[in-house]
Amino acid sequence: MSALARLHRPATVEEAVRLLAGGDGERTRLLAGGATLVAMLNAGLVDPAELVSLAAVDELRGIGTLPDGGLRIGAMTRHRETAADVRLAGTLAVLREAAARIANPVVRNMGTIGGSISFADPAADYPPALVAADAAVEIAGPQGRRRVPAREFFVDWYATALGPNEMVTAILLAPRAPGLGSYDKLYRVAGDYAIVSVALSVAWRDGACARAGLAVGGCGPRPLHLDEADELLRAGRLGAQAARRAGELLAAAADPLDDVRASAAYRRRVIPRMVERALAAARDELSRTA
Amino acid sequence: MNPKLHSVLTINGERRDVLAPASATLLDALRSVLGLTGTKRGCNHGVCGACTVLLDGKLARACLTLAADVGERAVVTIEGIGGNGGLSPVQRALVEHGAIQCGFCTPGVVIALSELFARDPRPDRGAIRGALSGNLCRCSGYAKIVEAAERLAGEAR
Repeated sequence: MSALARLHRPATVEEAVRLLAGGDGERTRLLAGGATLVAMLNAGLVDPAELVSLAAVDELRGIGTLPDGGLRIGAMTRHRETAADVRLAGTLAVLREAAARIANPVVRNMGTIGGSISFADPAADYPPALVAADAAVEIAGPQGRRRVPAREFFVDWYATALGPNEMVTAILLAPRAPGLGSYDKLYRVAGDYAIVSVALSVAWRDGACARAGLAVGGCGPRPLHLDEADELLRAGRLGAQAARRAGELLAAAADPLDDVRASAAYRRRVIPRMVERALAAARDELSRTA
Repeated sequence: MNPKLHSVLTINGERRDVLAPASATLLDALRSVLGLTGTKRGCNHGVCGACTVLLDGKLARACLTLAADVGERAVVTIEGIGGNGGLSPVQRALVEHGAIQCGFCTPGVVIALSELFARDPRPDRGAIRGALSGNLCRCSGYAKIVEAAERLAGEAR
């Protein structure tokens, strides 16, 4: 039987952090949308003594525009909202596409971006998308707020840069640039976690690639990303040769597991194909729109 | 250990007192505390869709929602869909087109389709299939469920 004794519903981030810090370490957990934590609670995989629900914290809700034109996605923003936000266009479309591919409409209506990335399942859809878009994660803790690049936030299997008594408050995105973002995943059935996923964000200006971000999900402890692959794609203007080389580099750097979805060897074989497919689609889109 | 928490939930328009363990889900509260057993417990981890309810008009899994975390959100269960004991148009369409086999998934299907028709009275096949993508039918009776929804959409045209 569950040991859960209390459920707090603070109204502010500061209060949530205080409750977290005042609790009994791992026995006090944050509750966001519940899509993962309540499922684990039901299955007896976690046994917290106290939960701090973030449902009543207004600051964590919704997507806002920052003074510099960038976007701030509150940690409690549901996947459904992210999947529908037209401001996530151009280089930032990768995030909208990833959100639209999570699970099913009901889970997208419950699950939150903060909860998802804090759980940090490397086969989940947001981690590679945030890495490709070079987003930052805003974190609150007893010492106040700090920012961590998404590329440093995911550190290992189900492990993040969050310290004790810290929580994710928002995702911060630089202003969108003209170009494109895309997210593709290979799956057993629609809505499942990825076997391999490829997230791409490309800034394109005057027929040249100003910036490319490419990340692979489902193939190791954290989203797979190589500065060298991004630079190859940028310098090679997303060409077929650059795509092939980037795919090979990523496959060589991947550290996938054999699991119920696919073998590690299969994943390594598929990475270059998925990368080439994503880049071919990107070239096609740019030739039509740019 | 495991004290019960008191919550006041708004369920199908009525305020209801719920006394349940802190770990009780909305699904536990509906079925075991309030006797509203129309909402089904299938997988209990958010995959099958049998426990789907509306929270403030939006789809939610009752099994992934803690009863004590529902707060002020209004809950609508399958018992609240028809009103006055009658059938809703979605329910009538499913009955008329034989879109029910064992019936275990049906409450969740009705809720999912009700939410769809509330925002789009004339959904096409793609929208219907998308709306049902979070509901598993172990009898694999999908074809008739989709057809029933298409007929209902056709009547609105």
